[in-house]
Amino acid sequence: MLIKYEFLKILRKKSTIIVMAISLLLTAFLFGLPILQYQTYNQDGVIKGFDGIAYEKEQAQNVSGPLTDAYIAETVAEYQRLFENPDNVGTDGNESFLIGDAYWNFEAPRDKLLSLIASVYDAPGEHSGLSKLPGLDMTDGVSYYQRLHEKVQTLLNTPSRELSTEQREYWSNMSSKVETPLQYGYHEGWEIILTSFELLMFALLAVCIVIAPVFSGEYQAGTDAVILSGKYGKTKLVTAKIISSILFGLLAFTLHIIVAFGLPLAAFGTDGWDLPLQIAGVTIPYPFTFLQAVLINLGVVYLVLLAMIGLTLLLSAKMKSPYLVLIVLVPVLFIPLFLSPNGTTGAYNLTLFLLPYRATMPEIGKYVSYQIGGMVFDALSMRAILYAILTAIMLPLARLGFKKHQVA
Amino acid sequence: MQLQLQNLCKQYGTKRAVNHVNATLVPGVYGLLGANGAGKTTLMRMISGVLKPTSGNICLNGKTIEELGERYYTHLGYMPQDFGFYPDFTAWEFMLYMAAVKGLDVKTAKARTEQLLHMVNLYDVAGKKVKSYSGGMKQRLGIAQAELNHPSILILDEPTAGLDPKERVRFRNLISDFAKEKIVILSTHIVSDVSYIADTILMMKAGNFLLGEPMATVTNGIRGKVWEVLMDPRRAAEYSRRFSVVNLHHENNMVRLRIVSDTAPAADACTVEPSLEDLFLYHFGENVQGERSGHYAD
Repeated sequence: MLIKYEFLKILRKKSTIIVMAISLLLTAFLFGLPILQYQTYNQDGVIKGFDGIAYEKEQAQNVSGPLTDAYIAETVAEYQRLFENPDNVGTDGNESFLIGDAYWNFEAPRDKLLSLIASVYDAPGEHSGLSKLPGLDMTDGVSYYQRLHEKVQTLLNTPSRELSTEQREYWSNMSSKVETPLQYGYHEGWEIILTSFELLMFALLAVCIVIAPVFSGEYQAGTDAVILSGKYGKTKLVTAKIISSILFGLLAFTLHIIVAFGLPLAAFGTDGWDLPLQIAGVTIPYPFTFLQAVLINLGVVYLVLLAMIGLTLLLSAKMKSPYLVLIVLVPVLFIPLFLSPNGTTGAYNLTLFLLPYRATMPEIGKYVSYQIGGMVFDALSMRAILYAILTAIMLPLARLGFKKHQVA
Repeated sequence: MQLQLQNLCKQYGTKRAVNHVNATLVPGVYGLLGANGAGKTTLMRMISGVLKPTSGNICLNGKTIEELGERYYTHLGYMPQDFGFYPDFTAWEFMLYMAAVKGLDVKTAKARTEQLLHMVNLYDVAGKKVKSYSGGMKQRLGIAQAELNHPSILILDEPTAGLDPKERVRFRNLISDFAKEKIVILSTHIVSDVSYIADTILMMKAGNFLLGEPMATVTNGIRGKVWEVLMDPRRAAEYSRRFSVVNLHHENNMVRLRIVSDTAPAADACTVEPSLEDLFLYHFGENVQGERSGHYAD
C-alpha cells in the first residue's frame, strides 16, 4: 500500500510528466539523429535516410561471411590487382586510391571490410586507412589472425600503457578467447548503440530530478512532521519510498532505453546481433557479440543508475530542498563530460573512466584495467563492482538519513 | 494513561527553546498558551516524537519513547502547524496514504476514512484534489488524518490559525468530539479557542511552563487585578502606553479601558471578573499586545 502511494506521489506530479516528456523527446532526438543524418553514396550521387540505409545494408550483405585467411588474402589480392591497372587509380598528390568502376564495384561495397583488414597492418596508434593494402605481402606465410595476435601483443607491451604483467596476461587471455575466423556482416544499428551510450546521461539526470524530492520534498512541504509521527513513518515508509524510487527509476529508464535502442534498431535492423565485436574494431579484446556487449554495458549502466538513485536519495534525505540536491548532483553527473582522458593509466584516467558519465561508455577497445593486489578487473567489471558497492552503501544511508531527520 | 514530560530540554545553539519542562498529563484537553517563540511548537514536536530532546524524557505509562518504539506512535495523532499536503492527492487518497503510514489495514483504513470524512464534512468532496481545498477544508482534513488511528494522545499545533470565525467554531466543536478519553494538547495563541474547550491551561513562557491550572480556576490568581475605567480619549491614550490594556471601547465621547494591573490604575477604576485573555496579557505583557490586537474580536 505504501509503495503504491509513494509511487503515485512521484507519478502524479506535473514536474514528473514534464521532465520525463522532455527527457524522452531529447533521447529520441539524440538517438534518432544518426537516422536523420544518414547518407551514403553510389555512382548516381548521395542517398539519404532510409533509402541510404537500405542501399548500404544490401551492399554489406553481399560481402558478409566468415573472414577466413583465404577470403582475406583473396580480397586483398583483388584490391591489389585492381590497383595494378593505372586506369583504376587516382591520386591527390600524397595518396593513391581506386577510382571509377573499380571503386564503385569493388571498394565502395567493401570499404569497412577493407579498413578492418588493413588496420591489422597498422602499428599501434597508426591509422593509415587503405594506403598499405596495395603494397601488402600476403604470401609471407603469416596469417591474418597471427598478425592480429602480434598486434594485440604489441599493444599490450607498449610502454606508455604501463600495464603490469598480470594486466597483460589478463587482456591476452581475454583476447585469445575471441573466436576466429571472425564473422563479418552488417551491424550498423548495434554500432550506433554501442557508441551512443553516454547520451543516456540525460535519462539518468531526468530520473534523478524526479526523485530528488522524495525526502527533501517532504521537508520542504512540511509533511515530514505528520508522516514521521506515524507508526511506520521511520520504518516501512522509508523502505517504501526507496523501493518506489528504484521502481520508478528502473521503469522510466527502461522506457528511455526502449526509445533509445528501438529507434536505431528499427531503422537499421537488428542484423549483426550475433556478430563479434571485433568487426567494429579488430583489436577489441572482449570475446562478445554485439548483443552481448550491449547487454553487458547496459547492465553496468543500470548499476550506475541504481547508484545515482542511491546518491540522490541520500542527498534528498540530508538536504532541505530538492533544488539543493540537484545543485550537488548535476556537477557529479556532468563535470566528467568536460574532462578528457589523456591515456589509459594513472590515477586521473582510471578515476575518470569510473565516473558516471564515462562509466556509461563501453570503452571496449581501450584495455582499461584496474589491479587490486594480484587481481585484475577490466573497466566494465570494475564499474559494475564499484556502482554495486555504492548502491549498497548509499541506500541504507539514505534510509538512516530520513529516519534520523529532526523536524525543526 | 499517563504522559510524563521529565525534565525536557531542547537547545538550539545558545538558545534554549524548551527549558526543563516537567508535567504529568492524564486524559483531558490541555490548552497550551504562549506568545510566539515561547517553545510551544518545539515541545509539541518532541511529544510527537519528530524532534529529539537535548535532554530529558517523554514517557507513556512509565516507558520512554525509545523503549516503546513504533508502539508509541500507535497512540499518537499529530496535526502540525502549517503542515503541507500532497496537492495532487485527493482527500480520499491522502487519508488512505496516512492510514497506511499509521499501520491500518486496508479495510479498516477505508471504513475509518469514510467515517472521518463524514465527520469533518468533507465526504462529498473527497474525490477532489487537496490543492483545490480552502484553508478551512485543509485544516479539517488535517484533524481527520490525526484521528485515523484512534489516538489516545492528540496533538494539535495551532489548528485554528488562519480560519475565519465560523470555521473556528466548527473546528472547536470537532476537537471536542474527538477529545473523549484522550490526552489532547491544543496549542494556540488565540485565547478564546482554548477557553471553550480546554480542561486545563498550560501557559508557556521562555521554554518553560509558567502555570498549569484547571480551566475553572486558572484565572483565580489574577482576581482583583483586572480593572475597568471610563475616561476621556486623551487620558486613555496615555493609559494605553502605561498599562497592559486588554480592551478599549468607545462609549459616546468617552473610552472604556480594560486594564490588567497589580494595583488600581486610577482612583475611579473598579475590578471586574478576570478572563483567560486577561491572564494571558498579565503574563505576556505589552510585547504581545500588538500581536494580539487582531484577536479581540474572537
